[in-house]
Amino acid sequence: INMFSSLMLASLSVLTLPIMSSILNTHKNSTYPHHVKNIISYAFITSLIPTMMFIHSGQETIISNWHWVTIQTLKLSLSFKLDYFSMIFVPVALFVTWSIMEFSLWYMHSDPYITRFFKYLLTFLITMMILVTANNLFQLFIGWEGVGIMSFLLIGWWYGRTDANTAALQAILYNRIGDIGFIMAMAWFLFNANTWDLQQIFMLDPNLTNLPLLGLLLAATGKSAQFGLHPWLPSAMEGPTPVSALLHSSTMVVAGVFLLIRFHPLMENNKTIQSLTLCLGAITTLFTAICALTQNDIKKIIAFSTSSQLGLMIVTIGINQPYLAFLHICTHAFFKAMLFMCSGSIIHSLNDEQDIRKMGGLFNAMPFTTTSLIIGSLALTGMPFLTGFYSKDLIIETANTSYTNAWALLMTLIATSLTAVYSTRIIFFALLGQPRFLPLTTINENNPFLINSIKRLLIGSIFAGFFISNNIYPTTIPEMTMPIYMKLTALTVTILGFTLALELSLITHNLKLEHPTNMFKFSNLLGYYPTIMHRLPPLANLSMSQKSASLLLDSIWLENILPKSISQFQMKTSILISTQKGQIKLYFLSFLITLTLSMLLFNLHE
Amino acid sequence: MSLAHINIFLAFTVSLMGLLMYRSHLMSSLLCLEGMMLSLFVMATMVVLNTHFTLASMMPIILLVFAACEAALGLSLLVMVSNTYGVDHVQNLNLLQC
Repeated sequence: INMFSSLMLASLSVLTLPIMSSILNTHKNSTYPHHVKNIISYAFITSLIPTMMFIHSGQETIISNWHWVTIQTLKLSLSFKLDYFSMIFVPVALFVTWSIMEFSLWYMHSDPYITRFFKYLLTFLITMMILVTANNLFQLFIGWEGVGIMSFLLIGWWYGRTDANTAALQAILYNRIGDIGFIMAMAWFLFNANTWDLQQIFMLDPNLTNLPLLGLLLAATGKSAQFGLHPWLPSAMEGPTPVSALLHSSTMVVAGVFLLIRFHPLMENNKTIQSLTLCLGAITTLFTAICALTQNDIKKIIAFSTSSQLGLMIVTIGINQPYLAFLHICTHAFFKAMLFMCSGSIIHSLNDEQDIRKMGGLFNAMPFTTTSLIIGSLALTGMPFLTGFYSKDLIIETANTSYTNAWALLMTLIATSLTAVYSTRIIFFALLGQPRFLPLTTINENNPFLINSIKRLLIGSIFAGFFISNNIYPTTIPEMTMPIYMKLTALTVTILGFTLALELSLITHNLKLEHPTNMFKFSNLLGYYPTIMHRLPPLANLSMSQKSASLLLDSIWLENILPKSISQFQMKTSILISTQKGQIKLYFLSFLITLTLSMLLFNLHE
Repeated sequence: MSLAHINIFLAFTVSLMGLLMYRSHLMSSLLCLEGMMLSLFVMATMVVLNTHFTLASMMPIILLVFAACEAALGLSLLVMVSNTYGVDHVQNLNLLQC
């Protein structure tokens, strides 16, 4: 008796229980957040069983239960695809969300609307689950839009703050531009493959897939903040730290990468799109790593780090390694969420101080947070045998030994060393040295919620890579033989980055502050991209439309060309050339006398 | 000429006198202009109907149309004058100003 599908459906549907309890109004009591956290932990444990069954037997399932509508020849039904990707992602996502929920019990403790916060987080989780288990593009789109909406609601959580509202709006706008690509891909599939089901698309294997894959790439650029549609991710740090940890590091922003991974059978055959993704990912990872070097807000540095890692995932897809990209998604979730939670702990302890120039000396004051921050940074940079090593090092090795674009490869290597640089910067400024915060502090990390949640992710960051890599079945064979300098490339550039950053920080720590150079300004202002793109194109569009619509048509063609020009011309010339004085009665009388005289003359002349 | 024709012709002449000789109001010359137009119209219609010159029976109507246009023009000039001075006394028009 195979309980695979029923257990998986049970774990997914158990998540929707707290939402439905809001109908019965049981969500007003103060233990609702605890209920939500417990339910997520139960869902996690329940979903482990089907995952282990999957690992043991390699059995993939598609659950298609409810036929919704048939529009002429298109059949839409509620269909869950439980394959390699979704079976491994669901437990990972549930585990990370469980830890984040426990963390936000501590972080958002004094918030009066904490139940609403948990409801929003839970709705987000449900839509993310819909996204990863979707078997047809329509269900995926439902999940896609759902995570977008929840992201908007959660970024603008403190809606009294103007910056938070603009950041939420920015997130929605940039995601919408990506959605255009998604809808274009859906339309192409509807016309050319007559379906939105993934199985049928892969079976038909259409020939010219440039257009839909371009659309999907645009969708991934919007959702995963690649270069061109990236400014919303650093701005999204206006939301509370649990939101940043859940959405913008582990789950939502990997939705774009996940979409591209889902379509890997189509991308294998299209070399153009692969080169495009490779270059896009390389540009993103380098650009955001450069921007992260001079930021002063700890959450923004971690946000740019997320962006850079996302670029790395896109690069992995570009070298035709979807399984490695997926492995990086799973491992990245652990340490990135933990990094955000550590920064949340620091921020709360220093009384909502987010500027690293005002932190310091936390090495002795907050030992647990320090430990987890350092381990998280080491895992991020790919320290051997921590979590990040199993995915990141494999990616760099495969990129080194594959027949690929050398420029993209160089960019990726530079970005890897920059990862080490800004991680060292965080550690140096926030933890080492003498304290730069106010003496009257509220440093306290004794809360069991905080300690337990970070501890769980800590163990995950150390062991999850090993655990997952040893238990998945082999998909693409990694390259086993390569020259020793290639094998050690990732390690070398990382160590280079570490030492360089440490030396520079120590040397320049006590120097006088000079005027920022041009390079500094480029990096600090995010490469001038938001400054230019948020002002120039809207201004150009609006002024062009105003000029062409109202000025050109209405006032020039209808008003000015004939009537006004004639009247102006006449008035000017008549003033110019007339010498009259306006004695009308005289003129009329003379006219009358002339008339009478002429009539008399002509009639009486014989 | 018959009596009716002389009657109408006299009406025309009286209006012409009124158009060219007036004291102060511009409005009175406009009114006389209308009177001239009216008498012309009646004269033309009478001649056309009496001589059964059917082809020319368009002429009075077209005359009416053009007279309406010129009346509008005259009135707009009156309004322009009245805008600047408040009254339409002709002795105000000694400055050529726009």
